Amino acid sequence: MIKHYGYIPVIFLLLLILTGCYDRIELEQQSYVIAVGIDKGEETGTFSFTFQLANPEVGATLSAGSDEEPQETVTITGSDIITATNTANSFITKKITLDQTKVIIISEELARSKDFIRVIQTAARTPQIRRSVQLIVSKENASDFLNNNEPKTETRPHKYYQYMLNRASQTGIIPDANLHRFFQITEGDADLFLAIYATTEISEPKESGSEDEYIAGQVPQQGGSKTQFMGSAVFKEGQMIDILDGQDTRICNILDKTIEMEELLATYPDPIKPEYQVSANYSQKSVPLVNVSYDKKNNHAKIDVTIPFEIEIIAIPSLVDYAQNNKYNQKLRESIEQSIEEKTTKLVKKSQEEYGSDPFYWSIYIRRYFKDIPAYEEADWNKVIYPNASITINYKLKRLEFGKMLKDSKLNEVRD
Amino acid sequence: MSRLQKGKKAIKQMYEKKEKLQEDAKDNAERLKQLFSYGINKDFSYKQLVADYNKKKIYLFFYASIVNSDKIEEFIIKPIHEGEGDKLSKIINTRDLIEITDFEQATDDINNGKIVLLMEGDSIGYSMEVSDFKHRAISQPANESVIRGPKEAFTESLFVNISLVRKQIRDKQLITEQSSVGTRSKQSVVLVYVSDIVNDEILKNVRERIESIEVDTVRNVELLEQYIEERPYSIFPSILYTERPDNAGAYLEDGHIILLMDNSAACLILPVTFWDLFHSPEDRYSRFIFGNFTRAIRFFSFYITTMISAAYVSLANFHSEMIPPDLLFAITAAREYVPFPLIVEILLMEFAFELIREAGIRIPNPLGPTIGIVGALILGQAAVEANIISPIIVIVAALSGLTSFVIADTSLNYTVRISRFIFILSAAFLGMLSLVGVFLLWFMYAASLKSFGVPFFAPLAPYYKSSGDTMFRKALRAEIWRPSHIKPKDLHKKQRK
Repeated sequence: MIKHYGYIPVIFLLLLILTGCYDRIELEQQSYVIAVGIDKGEETGTFSFTFQLANPEVGATLSAGSDEEPQETVTITGSDIITATNTANSFITKKITLDQTKVIIISEELARSKDFIRVIQTAARTPQIRRSVQLIVSKENASDFLNNNEPKTETRPHKYYQYMLNRASQTGIIPDANLHRFFQITEGDADLFLAIYATTEISEPKESGSEDEYIAGQVPQQGGSKTQFMGSAVFKEGQMIDILDGQDTRICNILDKTIEMEELLATYPDPIKPEYQVSANYSQKSVPLVNVSYDKKNNHAKIDVTIPFEIEIIAIPSLVDYAQNNKYNQKLRESIEQSIEEKTTKLVKKSQEEYGSDPFYWSIYIRRYFKDIPAYEEADWNKVIYPNASITINYKLKRLEFGKMLKDSKLNEVRD
Repeated sequence: MSRLQKGKKAIKQMYEKKEKLQEDAKDNAERLKQLFSYGINKDFSYKQLVADYNKKKIYLFFYASIVNSDKIEEFIIKPIHEGEGDKLSKIINTRDLIEITDFEQATDDINNGKIVLLMEGDSIGYSMEVSDFKHRAISQPANESVIRGPKEAFTESLFVNISLVRKQIRDKQLITEQSSVGTRSKQSVVLVYVSDIVNDEILKNVRERIESIEVDTVRNVELLEQYIEERPYSIFPSILYTERPDNAGAYLEDGHIILLMDNSAACLILPVTFWDLFHSPEDRYSRFIFGNFTRAIRFFSFYITTMISAAYVSLANFHSEMIPPDLLFAITAAREYVPFPLIVEILLMEFAFELIREAGIRIPNPLGPTIGIVGALILGQAAVEANIISPIIVIVAALSGLTSFVIADTSLNYTVRISRFIFILSAAFLGMLSLVGVFLLWFMYAASLKSFGVPFFAPLAPYYKSSGDTMFRKALRAEIWRPSHIKPKDLHKKQRK
C-alpha cells in the first residue's frame, strides 16, 4: 500500500513538467487597452483601429515624478480588432490585452455604413472583450476623437471613462449602451439600440430653451475638456439611422424597463408665467407599467403605458406660490404631466413613423402572445405591429414636493 | 513491530518477570544492588538498619533524588529504630505499605520513587510511597492565553494535573484510570473520563491503542499522541493538545477522554473534530455575541491565511481581467522594476515569514529583539526599496502571516501553513482552475478523515444532534444536547422542563 503513495508526487511532477504554466503571463508584460476606436479603412474590408493604452506607472505613488504620458494612442489598419493588436506589437512593447477595455468608439461614418456589423462581430467572438463595454458613436473619426480627448483632471483614461459615463448615464442624457445589449437587440431583430453619442468637435451651439435638448457638440460650454457626451445614436438592425438629443434619450430611459433610471433634473414650463421655467427633480421609484393587448386576427397591438413618477421642485424663478395655493398647485401638476406627455408622444410618433421601430425595448411585452419564435417573427414587430400600434402614454404624478421651503421671498417686500 | 524488538522483549520477560524474591533477604539485597549498579549509580541509596522490635536487619532501597527524605526519616527509620510491636506493618503505621514478591515490582517501585524494604528472614519485601519528583509550580498558560477565564495551566506533574482536572469537575463519576506505557522505562498514562457519559467503544479503542504501544519509552503526551493517532502522515491533526485544565474540563463534560502523563504540561483530548481544533476556550467564556464575533473573525482569518497568497498568484498571473483597473495598474506599476516572476516573489516572502517565525521560537531570549528589527527591515523597507519585491507582496504576505496566528491550536496552525504552500503552488500551475481543483481535493481529504471513528467535520457534515457549537455557538441556555457524534451515553446536557 505504501508503495503506491510514492507515485503521487511523481505524477504531480510529471503534470507540472508536461503542462507547464499554460497561459501564465506577468502583469507588467501586458499593455492594457482602455478604449478602442474603429474607423473605415481606405479599402472595403479594412478598418483602422485606434488603441488607447493606459500607462500604469502614471498615478502610482511609488514611481512619483514619472514624466511619462498617462496614455498612448496608436492607430493601425487591419481587418479585425484582435489581429490588429498583434500588428500593433511591431511598435508597442508589450502584449496588448483588451481585458480592461471600457469603451469602443465608432465613427459616425462607419456606424452609418453596412460594414459596422461585420467589424463588431469580433467582439462577440473573442473572450477578451467584455460584454459590458460601452459603445460610443463619435461624430468625427474615432482616431481623432481619441487623440483630441484631453481631459484636464482625470488624466488616467480608465478613470476618465468610468466617471464620465457613470455620471452622464445617471443623469440620463446618454443611454446604457453595452455590447451585450447591442447584440441582444440586433439579434432579436426588433426594437432600436441606442449608443452613446459623443464628440470632441464643438459645433455651432444651439440656442435652446431647455437644458437637455442638445446633442453632443451643441452644448454651449466655456473651458474644460472639449469632449461632450450627450444624446444617443439610434441603431436599427445594426446600422445607425439617426441621432436623438439628450431629452429624447432621457425619455427612452424612462420608458424602458430594462434600464435603471434613478433621477434627473429637468425644467418644465411655468403654467402661470410662461416666460419662466420651473426646475424640478424628476425621480422614478417604480418601473413604468406597459400594458400590451394584442389582437391576433388583425395583427394589431394596443400599448398603454403608465409611468408613475415623483417631482421635487427645486426652483421657481417666477416666485408664484405653487406650494400653498391649491389652485396653482393643481395647475402645476397638470402642466408638468402634460408637458412630459407631449414630448413623449412626439418621440413615440417619430419612432413609429420615421424609424418603424421603438427604442424602448417594448417588443418583450408582446412576445408572450406568440406560440413560438417563427410565429413572432412572421408577425413582424418592426414593419407591421409597431408602426401601426395604437399607443397611449399616461404620466401619473404621484407626489409633488417643494424641498425645504414652502414660501419664496416676497418680491414686493424685498423691493420696497 | 520488528522481529528484533520482539526478541528483546522476550529476553526481558524471562529475565525479570519470573524472578521471584528469594528466602534470604541478604541475597535479595545483593541482587537489587546489582540490578541498580550500586556504587556507580550515585543517587541509588541502600541503607541497612536493625529493627528495634525483633533485632533483625532491614535493608532499604530508594533513589535519593526522587524521594522525600523527611518522609523516610519520619515514617520508616524512626519507627524501625523506636517502634514497638510484633509485625513490620504495625510498626510502620502507614496505609500504603505494599507487599512485593518479585524483582520486577521491586525495581519498578524504586524507579517510581518508592522505597523498598527487605527484612531478614522474610521472603517478601515491602514498598512504600515516598516519592517527591521535582516539577514546576502551576503557572499561567504560555500559548493559550485568554482575557476572560481561568489562568491556570497544567504543569509537568501527573499528580498535580489530575488535581487540576478534579478541581474543574467534582463528580464521583470522574474516573482517572491508570495504565502504563513503555517496557524499559515505564511511564503511567492516566485516562480521565466521566464514566456515565463517555462512550465505551471509544474508551476501549483508546485503551487498546495505549496497550498496544510496544516501545522502550514514551516520555510524555506529545510523543504519546504520535503513537496512538490513526494517521501519522496526515497534515490534519486528530487529537487536541491543550495546556488548559478548564478546556479539558469542558471536553470531559461532553464525554471526551483526556490523557495525562508526567513530564507534560498539557493533556490530550480525543476524539476531536475540526471545530474543536478551531475553537478557543474564550469563545465560550465571552458572551454570546462577543464570542461569535471572535468566531467570525477567526473563520475569516482561516480563509485569508490559506487563500490570499494563492488567490493573488492566480489572479495576477492568469486572470488579470478579474482585477479592477485601479488595483491592476497599482500592482503593475509596482512590479515594473521587480526582477522575479510573481510566484518567486510570493514564495520568497512566505518563506521569509516562516523563517522569522521559526527563528523567533528558537532564538535565545537575550537576542529576542534582533528578530523584530531584522525581520521588519528585511520584510519591509529594504526589500521593497531594493526592488527585490513589490510592496503589494509585503501586504499579502503580512496578511497571510498575521491571520495565521489567529488559529490558536498549534497542530491546526501547521496544517494551515502547509496548506497555504500547497495552494500557492497549485495556483501558479494553472491559475484559478487548478487552485479550485486542489482546494476540492484538499477539502475532500479533510472531510474523509476520522478521529477515533468520529468524522472530521461532524456535527456539521455529516449532521449530528449536538449543542450546535460549530462555526458559531448558541446561547448557553439553548444548548440542550451533548455532541452526539462522539456517542455519549447521556445525550442531555440540560434537563428539559
